[in-house]
Amino acid sequence: MRFLAEEKLEALLHLLAKSSSLWTPTAIEDAAGTVTFEPWKPGTAPVLDRFTTLSAKELLLPATEKLFSFTYSLSEGEESVEIEPEGQTGETILFGARACDAKAIKVLDALFMQPAGEAYGDDQYRRRRLDLTVITIACTTCDAACFCSSFENGPAEKSGSDVFLYPVEGGWIAEGITDRGGDLIGGDSFTDSGIDPPELVVTRSVDIAGLQEKLPEIFANIDFWQEATAKCLSCGYCTYTCPTCYCFNIFDEMRSDREGERLRGWDACIFNLYTRETSGHNPRPTIAKRYRNRIGHKFSYYPANQGETLCTGCGRCIRGCPAGLDIRDVLTGVKEL
Amino acid sequence: MTDIIEAMDRILKDTDFVLGWTLDEDTGVAEPARFHSSEQAAQAVLDSTCVHNLAVHLPRLKESTVGIVAKGCDARSIVQLIVEGAVERERVKVIGVTCAAGMLDVKAIWRRHGYGARIDDTGDSLSVGGDRVDRNEYLMGKCRDCGAAAPVIHDELIEMSGPGRDSAPTSSGGSNDTTPDGTLALKQRFDAMPAAGRRAFWREQFSRCIRCYACREACPMCFCRDVCTMQTTDPHWAGGDTNARESEMVQLVRVNHLAGRCTGCGECERACPVGIPLMLLLGEQNNIIEEMFDYRAGTDLEAKSPLLTFDIKNDSWGGG
Amino acid sequence: MTTIARTGMKATNPLVPEPATVSEVIIETGNIRTVRLTFDDTETMKNFTFLPGQIGQLGILGAGESTFAISSPPSQKEYFQFSVMKTGVVTSAIHELAEGDRVSVRAPMGCAFPTDDWKGKNIIVAGGGIGMAPLRSLVMYLLDHRADYGELTLVYGARTPEDLCFEADRDVWEQRDDVNFISTIDNVCSGWDGCVGLVPSILEDTAPSPDNSVAITCGPPVMIKFTLQSLERMGFREEQIYTTLERRMKCGIGLCGRCNVGAKYVCTDGPVFSLADIRDMPDEL
Repeated sequence: MRFLAEEKLEALLHLLAKSSSLWTPTAIEDAAGTVTFEPWKPGTAPVLDRFTTLSAKELLLPATEKLFSFTYSLSEGEESVEIEPEGQTGETILFGARACDAKAIKVLDALFMQPAGEAYGDDQYRRRRLDLTVITIACTTCDAACFCSSFENGPAEKSGSDVFLYPVEGGWIAEGITDRGGDLIGGDSFTDSGIDPPELVVTRSVDIAGLQEKLPEIFANIDFWQEATAKCLSCGYCTYTCPTCYCFNIFDEMRSDREGERLRGWDACIFNLYTRETSGHNPRPTIAKRYRNRIGHKFSYYPANQGETLCTGCGRCIRGCPAGLDIRDVLTGVKEL
Repeated sequence: MTDIIEAMDRILKDTDFVLGWTLDEDTGVAEPARFHSSEQAAQAVLDSTCVHNLAVHLPRLKESTVGIVAKGCDARSIVQLIVEGAVERERVKVIGVTCAAGMLDVKAIWRRHGYGARIDDTGDSLSVGGDRVDRNEYLMGKCRDCGAAAPVIHDELIEMSGPGRDSAPTSSGGSNDTTPDGTLALKQRFDAMPAAGRRAFWREQFSRCIRCYACREACPMCFCRDVCTMQTTDPHWAGGDTNARESEMVQLVRVNHLAGRCTGCGECERACPVGIPLMLLLGEQNNIIEEMFDYRAGTDLEAKSPLLTFDIKNDSWGGG
Repeated sequence: MTTIARTGMKATNPLVPEPATVSEVIIETGNIRTVRLTFDDTETMKNFTFLPGQIGQLGILGAGESTFAISSPPSQKEYFQFSVMKTGVVTSAIHELAEGDRVSVRAPMGCAFPTDDWKGKNIIVAGGGIGMAPLRSLVMYLLDHRADYGELTLVYGARTPEDLCFEADRDVWEQRDDVNFISTIDNVCSGWDGCVGLVPSILEDTAPSPDNSVAITCGPPVMIKFTLQSLERMGFREEQIYTTLERRMKCGIGLCGRCNVGAKYVCTDGPVFSLADIRDMPDEL
């Protein structure tokens, strides 16, 4: 184990920011206490005593991103079109993720990093992911929305992290999880340490065992889903702040008469427009049916297809839901059926 | 809680269910619920954490006859929905609640003290997580200069009993600039900004917009929802990029579509994941509408929104 | 679940399309047009392979992409084609296309009809309206490999004679004596001396035996529903019946999330499914 002294933090951030794009949890001004991961600016202290409002998924799946640009041109009466794919990304370091944020990356990797040949994976995700280093702050406290202890390893989950920093008096005990992380904490900002890492928090736990099989079994129980989602506004807060909700839309925007871009941007299965077809037919026309799909996807379909639960218990959907809907109550309700 | 339980019981006789609040055991605050029976009604609560504007559900429940518990501000939304024909008066039974001391900004409390921190509002004092705090600091922004404590529409009328009844909300004229969400301080700074500064301020704010449309979905008056002009592909009014320019377009169009219709409930701001102070914009617009047309949305069942009825030949701009 | 190896698609970013050029536009009906295309890159065109039932994303850069079945057979190396009904923004833009116009294509995607498993069997194909698009590719493939299959029965219906697509192909199928082809319209109308009646009932009248047979149907949802019922009445088991599902799609590669029916993704697990596959899915079609 290594040790990072509190007073060495700023120097470390300076060092990291030299070679990489460094993102830290940042308090946003005039934003009702919002904390988000933002590119680090010298002089700003990372916010490490509060949870971020948005997850870190935008580092891998930006809210909108260009897939490619295109240009129509006319030469000698012949129309032609050029397609220019988006270029390379650079090294990125995420400092101040939580174990649930880092685990979420691992969970998304299962789909987006599938090897070419077996499935398609995602080219732009893959490039960003390979260039990403995650420095996680271990949780010694939690709030009433946290429920990561529902999942194997809970707050001690290391997957997705390159470095684990355990808060202790005067700084952090640093553990290298990957080779990349080991190299990083081998640097001069860190010193050797014999201190034991502190006890991690235990959050509330929801019994998720058996949901993969149970959810398809109770699919047809629409009364349950209607009751469970009666207060849902289908506003998308949960999906947009969720670290593992990855649904996206693809659309074109023209930048001039002849030039444009094809973009992809966040979308959500909780929206009516998401699955509505041009004919007007919608396989999931009600909030109950859409929320059922969201829960099914997270706790049954994704586990069946990718071997990972599409939830890490970060609690963002609970903290922010304007209607006070608690996913844990729904899951418990499913178990009790 | 006997008032609300009895009122709900009576209303249940004429309705399919009642929209109200029950206690969330985990956090000790009110959460929205549907009440179908007297048994369920016994679980109804009414306190200073009943922040949600339940009127947002009404346009989606056209198939049912619905009872609804409505604070003074929520009642304004119901009135405006009826005025605009989005809700039929005959199909909604309102348990009006005269709000005495305003609602607590639960979101702000928890963003500062941690989600689920125990809120004890005795009426005389507020404590969060066992620590006594200044109650006035944690009032919802809209409650600071509330002019709608008494519901303008109701089939039953009850008074908020219990926590907070005897303490009066402070007015926005005070020197209090330490609210956790900085609402007051922000308003004062914003008012002092020159036009160019305001533009820059909003550009900065809208640069955070992730285009989730939670503001729209949480708004009782944004009942166009899935046919919202900001998401139609034909015509393609607004681009899908999450940049300040496109998001500004989307947000300003939404605000403009609410001119003379917004009842100031603040649900858009409460729902916004990235904390954009939308009520600063809507509140300003509401003031302008009131100055120009002497009109406050949702205060009169017989009145028509000036911008929905403006006749270019015969009407003149109010205030010259 | 039917397992068919995915073919084709270049190993680069599958969300980035290949430019292609319209070589011909065929007006099929009042609201259906077929666009024939060639990839601009000659290597891409040369290496382009697919199987009947597979789909592709046809796009107009600036308007967007939509998913369509490839309606030409794999043996057609000069071009490939999509048959498109005008319903929304993208399909309207596709209907504006003329020879020489540039489009974007991502193809092929999804699983094909398991034609290898069907070798030696009798094949019954029942199509309705625009649903004939993937079936055209299939029928032409079967005719290309005619010796590998038993009896071939094809019922194709539409509301009126004007709503029937693929006129030139229908003429060819009429002429051939190794395919029992019946085209039908919903109601009697002047100038039509062919068969009149709905596809399911015509199919039952034709009464192909379910023994050593598979049946494939594609068309409007209501037609599929009644055709499936007819086939079951005729003694076809769920494993012998195939159809293609349609869902709103964006990525076409199992990522964007919208086309799932339970744990199955129409874009990658389908669009071809056996009725047995569909019966295992949650009821969310």
